[in-house]
Amino acid sequence: MDIDKRTQQLAGRLAYIRDIFGPRENASVAMLKHRLEEFLAQAPGLGMRELSQQVARLEELFSLLEGKLENELCPMDRVRIVRHPQRICLKDILENVYDNYTEIGGQDEWSIDPGIIIARATIARRMGKKTVHQSVMVIGQEKGHGQEFRNGGSIKPWGNANALYYMRVAEVENIPIHTYVFTPGAFPVEDYPGAAQQIAKNLYVMAGLKVPIVSVFSEGGSGGAEAIALADRRLMLSHGYYSVISPEGAAAIEGGLKDKASPELIERCAERLKITAFDNLRLGFIDRVIQEPPLGARPEHYEFFRELRREVVRATDEVVHQAQSLGPLRALAMRRKKRTADPQDIFVRWQLGAKARHALVEQRYAKFRDMSRSAFLDNRALGVRLSTALARGLWSVHSLLTHDLLARYKKRFSGLLEYVEAEMRALGQGVGGPFTLLSGGRRGVPPETLECLTTLSCPEEGACRLDDVWVYVSPKSREDRTLTCPNTATHGCLDLWAPDLFGEFAGVCSHCGHHFPMEFHWYLYNVFEFAQAYEFNTAIEAGNPLEYEGFGLKLAEAKRATGLASSCITFEAKLDGISTVVAVLASPFRGGTVGAAEGEKLIRAVERARIKRMPFIMYSHGTAGIRIQEGTCGVIQMPRVTMAVRRYIEAGGLYLVLYDTNSYAGPVASFLGCSPYQFAVRSSNIGFAGPGVIRETTGMDVPPKYHRAFSALSRGHIQGIWDRRDLKKNLHQALLTMGGRNLYYR
Amino acid sequence: MAAHRILIANRGEIAMRILRACVGLGHEFVCVHTASDAASGHVRLARELGGEQSLRRIRSYQDANELFAVADACEATAVHPGYGFFAEDFRFARRAEKRDRPLIFIGPSWGVIRDLGDKINTKRIARSLAVPTIPGSDRPIFDEMEAVELAEAIFAFQDEQGITEGCVLVKASAGGGGMGIEEVYDLDTFRSVYRRIRNYAKRNLSDEGVLIEQRIFDFNHLEVQVAAERGGKNAVHFGTRNCSVQSLGRQKRIEVAPGFDPASLTYAFDAGAVLDSITRHSVHMAKSVGYDNVGTWEWIVTPKGEPFLMEVNTRIQVENGVSGVIARIDGRPETSGGVDIISEQIRLGLGEPLGYGQDEVRLEGVGIEYRIIAEDPADRFTPCLGRIERFAWKEEPWLRVYTQVPTALPGGEPYDIPMDFDPNLALAIVWGADLAQAMERGAEFLKGLVLTGTDTAGQPLRTNIAFLLARTETILHF
Repeated sequence: MDIDKRTQQLAGRLAYIRDIFGPRENASVAMLKHRLEEFLAQAPGLGMRELSQQVARLEELFSLLEGKLENELCPMDRVRIVRHPQRICLKDILENVYDNYTEIGGQDEWSIDPGIIIARATIARRMGKKTVHQSVMVIGQEKGHGQEFRNGGSIKPWGNANALYYMRVAEVENIPIHTYVFTPGAFPVEDYPGAAQQIAKNLYVMAGLKVPIVSVFSEGGSGGAEAIALADRRLMLSHGYYSVISPEGAAAIEGGLKDKASPELIERCAERLKITAFDNLRLGFIDRVIQEPPLGARPEHYEFFRELRREVVRATDEVVHQAQSLGPLRALAMRRKKRTADPQDIFVRWQLGAKARHALVEQRYAKFRDMSRSAFLDNRALGVRLSTALARGLWSVHSLLTHDLLARYKKRFSGLLEYVEAEMRALGQGVGGPFTLLSGGRRGVPPETLECLTTLSCPEEGACRLDDVWVYVSPKSREDRTLTCPNTATHGCLDLWAPDLFGEFAGVCSHCGHHFPMEFHWYLYNVFEFAQAYEFNTAIEAGNPLEYEGFGLKLAEAKRATGLASSCITFEAKLDGISTVVAVLASPFRGGTVGAAEGEKLIRAVERARIKRMPFIMYSHGTAGIRIQEGTCGVIQMPRVTMAVRRYIEAGGLYLVLYDTNSYAGPVASFLGCSPYQFAVRSSNIGFAGPGVIRETTGMDVPPKYHRAFSALSRGHIQGIWDRRDLKKNLHQALLTMGGRNLYYR
Repeated sequence: MAAHRILIANRGEIAMRILRACVGLGHEFVCVHTASDAASGHVRLARELGGEQSLRRIRSYQDANELFAVADACEATAVHPGYGFFAEDFRFARRAEKRDRPLIFIGPSWGVIRDLGDKINTKRIARSLAVPTIPGSDRPIFDEMEAVELAEAIFAFQDEQGITEGCVLVKASAGGGGMGIEEVYDLDTFRSVYRRIRNYAKRNLSDEGVLIEQRIFDFNHLEVQVAAERGGKNAVHFGTRNCSVQSLGRQKRIEVAPGFDPASLTYAFDAGAVLDSITRHSVHMAKSVGYDNVGTWEWIVTPKGEPFLMEVNTRIQVENGVSGVIARIDGRPETSGGVDIISEQIRLGLGEPLGYGQDEVRLEGVGIEYRIIAEDPADRFTPCLGRIERFAWKEEPWLRVYTQVPTALPGGEPYDIPMDFDPNLALAIVWGADLAQAMERGAEFLKGLVLTGTDTAGQPLRTNIAFLLARTETILHF
């Protein structure tokens, strides 16, 4: 009996190994297969004793070779491990790591999104003879060993919204949050609250969540992962992967999105993207790797769960310890025991005090700010760096003085002046009233007012034509040809002559208002006053941090063709007399993708706006998402920039986002989508994933105009749609009416 | 001068006159028409004068792409827009000039059309040249305080003028067609009206700008016909005309040249001086802006005899004939019966110099133009449809009738008034040595006119003629 079971187990292990290694030929696998077959063939003829010896020997061989195979795993094998139905899932973790738990996010398929599990769990800790149950909020994606209704851990927007709700609950209750990332990516539907917008909201809220957050990565696919993974401690299972995109997706893009990518290309992409736990540890995106048993943890590896429990407890302890000091003795004990002893021996209370809660958020920001520091090219000389830092400090002091201290006195003083003036006026009227009555004088109109009725109101300009000529005129307006508006069939628009369309009409169909795409220069000069602007961050250039094969050339080509150093342009400009910081994502540079350089530039721009108390306008002239060739260096910009934005908004600034042409994926799902003031230029598209990607990942056909700005507006993702010709006027209006308390011109 | 091939981008009566002018000047022409217009007189005339090859069928008169395609296909060198359609569309003129195969646009250059096409801008230009304009703002007002001050000043101005019931017009600067425009009679209601108009404009036109002007009642509508050569150095005028007899929709019905007749009527002010002043201002302004074709300066003259420039029409107008009929050019015997302003326009448009000065232009007699329009004066001048069965009049040397209705032509068949275009049927111009004779001849023409049709058109047309006849008595009286 026992022998049968053990042989079955061995067969199972072999099947698992063969699943992992896929079609690849491997000597060890072949040997295991051969040995097992040999044994099975001669088994009926063996005695009981002989059998058990043989099985024991086979088991030893299996363990030995599994250890050997472990070292031969390539990145793609690791991807196959985390996707294997036998991989541990969140339910296993809840049962084996925590002492008790209650699911609160629904039960199995009866849930708003069965792909995510939310549970209140406890971890029992001993303090002498007393047992203390420490509560945590556990949130994570559930793949459920291949249960269909779990949707493979691909979370719908409302699932993320539910997760966010319970994160807030945890904040109110002041208990730590443990998140477990088991997702290949978010489910790209736009129905309210919208995949991208909800992830952005999650990031924005998590950036300021005042309780410790610890996350554990097993499968971290892009935006779906980030939605719950912005944490103070980020742990990773040793066979997990964490990347901007699945290797298949990268291969599909690399292969030109034509047909299915070959397995070899997928393998190569997995290699280049640096997706494994140790790669991510080396790059600094995770804090610790939790060693799994050879070839990945499966539910029967109880030893592993104990290890996992130790690690999450230690991580939570450390976060708490960092934010608020423990007693001196415990701090000493902790330092001494460091990694050796069971961390559960030293009791740490996980509820934070008011002060520590604030410190925690600051630490979280500092932690993310430090990531991907070396993933871009910083061409500034040392002197420039120093002077920038110095200027920053001086500006901080200046803002503090002028806006915080002096402004208060100025307000008081002007209030006093107003008071005196109003009193004097009242006095004058009271006294003067009877006299004017006596003199019976009708209030006459001064002759100069009369004169203004018939003379020119702006004589200094001579003939005084109010010129509405654009400062920058598109080169497309020099061709003598006609263009057909795409709405001709429905709106009956006549064909447009290119010089009219791209010159005077600013690329807008004069009949139906359809916006033809315009170069980003048009906006720079005609809307954002780039000619008089001061551009900063020019020395930061996009690089190739992962040394992704072949990407260096493409990047150099993009730099040459566009004359830009990265897809992001940051500058200070005066719009109608109001100084603002503007950041532009230019689509001609690698599709407006965001990588480490762009992220850094954006963060610096946001910080500049915060220090100088200026409004911050983010104009997305089109972005295809995160730059996949930068792998995690790119995807980490989502939380990084979002955190900077949150700090800015909380400091009382105005963060205004303007979408144009096509804006998709990562940026929309983070720093763009988190703005309370998002507007779109007409005829633009906004979404999480393009129609092609949606069809590929979900198998459903998207309705036409699914991502149109008007659809986004009616779903509540954006706040308004602006005509291109009115952008300047609307921006001015926005600057006067929107934003927080701390803008200098208010 | 080399012969041109001119594309006539218009229809009806004006197309016919352009056609005749082209033939008179020795130019070739291409005439376009839509399917519903195939029976129109201009198609008939083109076939007669230029043969079948001078005709092109198009889908719409309003599609510039199609017109330019036709121009390229038949190798035209110039395009005449007539009035309406593309006549005042500076983009059309610009495209004609700037395209890879340029066409001469017979009309002012596009920059002039653009600058003077906007009423507010015209007002600004006029003010910069000290040409009198209607008191009020010459730019959109966005500020309530400023608006109130302006209204206050206008009321005071009217007070000074002795106008008992002062009135201010508040209108949305982006508005048009009578939307977003209101009259205010006192300062107290001004504020609320201003706010209402501003909010209306903001919501519906997404432009907060509001214009404020004096509202003038009982004015006379005068026009000055100007002609200038290319280059904009030289300009003359062909006198004034009075277009005060209008139907409810501000559609002019009777025009008289000259604008006032101080010789036979008495006015409360010095009418001769007014005419002199407006022609002087018009020509001065034309020269200053570099005006380079024919155009019309539209003025309003208040009961006190104050002229204000209203707008400039940068095109040939329907009523050009009435100015032409009283003008003579010394040394050009062919103009003894009047100047053909359309020929002059084509000549100037193609770059010929004017060839005469203001001194050589003489004005002689009085002209009256009647517009016969298929609309019903008894029913608020609503356009009507129907079939015209008979249309005839007695030919006289002092009479010219321009019409595209084929019924009026020899061997003409009954004509169905097309519903796609404006309901103008015919223009009749009479000339007399003085006002009395002109009025008499006008009445004679109207009484002798035979115009009958089926019931839908018949009765309105008869009322129309009665309306014109009744108003003939009172023209030029202030």
